[in-house]
Amino acid sequence: MLGQYATTLTFIALGAIFAYSFYAVLIAGQLSLGQAGFASLAAFSGAYLAPSGADVGDVPALLIAVAIGMSVGALAAVVLGLPTMHLRGVFLAIATLGFAEAVRVVLLNQEWTGGAQGLGVPRVLTVGMAWLALGLVAYWFWRMGRSRYGRALEAIREDELAARAMGIDVGRHRLAAFVTAGAVAGLYGVLYAYYVRLIAPDDFDFTAAVEGLVTAVVGGSTMFLGPVLGSGFLTAVPEIQRAVGVEAGWIRPFLAGLLLLVVILFLPGGLASLIRRRTRMPADAAAEAAGERAGRSHPPAGDTVVALAGLGKEYGGVHAVRGVDLEIRAGEVVGLIGPNGAGKTTLVNMISGLVPPSSGSATVLGAEIGRTPVHRIAAAGVSRTFQHSKLFNRLSALENVLVGAHLVSRPTFLRRLLWLPSARRDESAALRQAARCLERVGLAELAASRAEALSYGDQRRLEIARALASDPSLLILDEPAAGMNHVEARRLSELITSLAQDGLTILFIEHNVGMVLRTCTRVVVLNFGEVIASGAPAEIASDPAVVEAYLGSADEDPAGGSIAEGTLDDPTSAERADATPDAPPDPVVDVRPGAAGDLAPPDSTPRDAT
Amino acid sequence: MQQLLNGIFIGSIYALFAIGFTLVFGILDRLNLAHPAVFAASAFVGIELVERGGLSLWAALPLVFVVGAVLGLLIERLAFRPLKGRADAHFAGLISSIALAGMLIALLQWRYGPDTRRFPPGSFPDTRFEVFGAQVTLVQVVILAVSLALMVALTYMVTRTRLGRGMRAVAENPTAARVLGVNVDRVTAVTFAISSSLGAVAGVLFAINVNTAQLGMGAAIELKGLAVIIVGGMGSLPGALIGGLLLGLAEVFAVQYIGSSWIDVIAFGLLFVILLLRPQGLLGARKVREV
Repeated sequence: MLGQYATTLTFIALGAIFAYSFYAVLIAGQLSLGQAGFASLAAFSGAYLAPSGADVGDVPALLIAVAIGMSVGALAAVVLGLPTMHLRGVFLAIATLGFAEAVRVVLLNQEWTGGAQGLGVPRVLTVGMAWLALGLVAYWFWRMGRSRYGRALEAIREDELAARAMGIDVGRHRLAAFVTAGAVAGLYGVLYAYYVRLIAPDDFDFTAAVEGLVTAVVGGSTMFLGPVLGSGFLTAVPEIQRAVGVEAGWIRPFLAGLLLLVVILFLPGGLASLIRRRTRMPADAAAEAAGERAGRSHPPAGDTVVALAGLGKEYGGVHAVRGVDLEIRAGEVVGLIGPNGAGKTTLVNMISGLVPPSSGSATVLGAEIGRTPVHRIAAAGVSRTFQHSKLFNRLSALENVLVGAHLVSRPTFLRRLLWLPSARRDESAALRQAARCLERVGLAELAASRAEALSYGDQRRLEIARALASDPSLLILDEPAAGMNHVEARRLSELITSLAQDGLTILFIEHNVGMVLRTCTRVVVLNFGEVIASGAPAEIASDPAVVEAYLGSADEDPAGGSIAEGTLDDPTSAERADATPDAPPDPVVDVRPGAAGDLAPPDSTPRDAT
Repeated sequence: MQQLLNGIFIGSIYALFAIGFTLVFGILDRLNLAHPAVFAASAFVGIELVERGGLSLWAALPLVFVVGAVLGLLIERLAFRPLKGRADAHFAGLISSIALAGMLIALLQWRYGPDTRRFPPGSFPDTRFEVFGAQVTLVQVVILAVSLALMVALTYMVTRTRLGRGMRAVAENPTAARVLGVNVDRVTAVTFAISSSLGAVAGVLFAINVNTAQLGMGAAIELKGLAVIIVGGMGSLPGALIGGLLLGLAEVFAVQYIGSSWIDVIAFGLLFVILLLRPQGLLGARKVREV
């Protein structure tokens, strides 16, 4: 009974293992087609170097070959990964594809591989062994899913920049995912070799790579069962067709293509999306909250947190920020205001390490800006939100916050593989921490919703919760109240005040001037990239230079509004129109916060290409 | 000299194929992996038009162009438009176009069978020229002329016409283009149509050049096309032209001096070096993303 289907079942397992090597990188948002090359190198070196079954027994020989193959695959992934990890999307796919093709051609021209004739390998693999290997691989990815490492990979897939700002070392994580892919592909290569009896370099060509990719995507690249489902589906389709008597040579590939098209068009998450993804909430978030705050020591009040000296940023001759000297001390709540295009976002991008300054120097919590990578600055205790929400869209609200807690939680993946109770403790501590942060911004009941499904205001608050989760010393908020109504803005203002009481230092950009004056201990006003005023809220409100910057000229303003009263707030500031900041003909119109488009700071990284 | 010319002829076909590829990528940011299937399909259609339709080689070319355009519209409608607005549209587009390519090849197999097909004897004129001591057939000259003419026409269209302006606007920012009154859906469809018709003409020219059409011919050129568009710069039309010619020349000389089995290593070695040193390609502009 089983014997009749043994071949099919073995190929399902092999196909699934190969698909896992694609899943391993897809989960981190990387598209690689080099796995065929890894598998090929592993298959040939494993089969060639392993002792013969006659000397050590068949199964030990297979195990040795597997060990060799997985090491070769992983090593090849390191060698290929180091120079290519800065490539994104299609570029990475094509570079790795080029590698695989080069491997194929080189192996074809070697003597020891038997060239196009191929290399004979004894058949050792049984259906049971294949499924055991598949089980181990699937187990690996299952345990990875809810670990800190697995979440970090998903965060990188959803938004690389935000992941960096959460303190995730993106380069290292991407390389780790790539090496995992290499090892799994190596496993596939060896098992395949020990099943089909004769391997040739052409078994691992472009078509094979595409098949592996298709299997992974059809199955679903966001859920660990995906590759198994995909392989089962794609292997079963031709079998079923044969069983129902479809024989014409062209119908089978046609139907296979049609099914593939239907799956990809109508099941966006692949077959695995049919399985619901649960979000676990900690049962009693509040009960155990006491006494287990993630430990990070904050600088004592009054210490210098941020020190900027002559900081400037220039974009092709445009000075977005010019000669800014600024010191922020622990415990301060600093509001950064100024008309659009004044350089506020550029300034905080520099402080959080996303944009290197073109002149001047800056130290933030002991980290020197310009030379320190973003994740190190985050590790120093800087956390931020973004002007345009950069959430991990396909993750739940709770998972978003869990990623935010990356820096203050402990790695759990390896311990989860072994089911160590300490991993469970650490995971639930992180969960409680995340739940507390959600509660603090009032999103506890939306914890299970996907971030992209939240309303605009809720997304802004989720970003704040995510930033809070890392227990930062310096919290930077870029227009947190944009899109909030007056009630929400007032609640936000209360939240900021209470955070400051907890000892956080806060720097926030806001157009809601009334709110800034209410909340801050100090206000800094930026105009045309330069600081034009800095001081207590009351001083700022009456500073003629500030009023002029906002209204054009104070004398000509008959409207009678005063920024101190907050009457110039515009709750619709989320909607932007374009205008030039240096041509304010109508003071009333120009007063609108967000009247001018912000100077979006480009960075030098190549665009995400796929 | 003979090798140089041969390299240019084959290179111009590569370039034509790659330009279709890179057009969709540059404007729509999508990689259409059904492009090679169009390439193969058009070769078979071209042979059928000559064989059964009794058309001359030259009359078949415009018809193949039209067939390619229709296929392009179909590809866009079936494999890409339904994905609009999806977060994973990039991955999904790759897969859906692979699926469509598989279906297309299956249909070819149904219509023409798995065997290699050739043009009927006597389809090619025998005229030959002598250029700097090298033999050149009229067919080869026509291949070069058609490729160049199409590329010039495409460049003119993209840079000078209203449609081309729409394309460039969509490439820059589809949302803004829509706001400004560009019919993005139509521009997208037209881009696919033009891209596929270029791929189709490249396919039939390739079939003329080697006088064979095989089901696997698309897969064979697919990798070369990808290499060419990376080397030339993703989305860069002149880059694809230069990349195509470079590859054609490199191949011809590699066969002569190193041996035919190493051709692909050269192409991909070149590709790899370019990706490491100049990821944007020879003529690609480095695009920036916003924080």
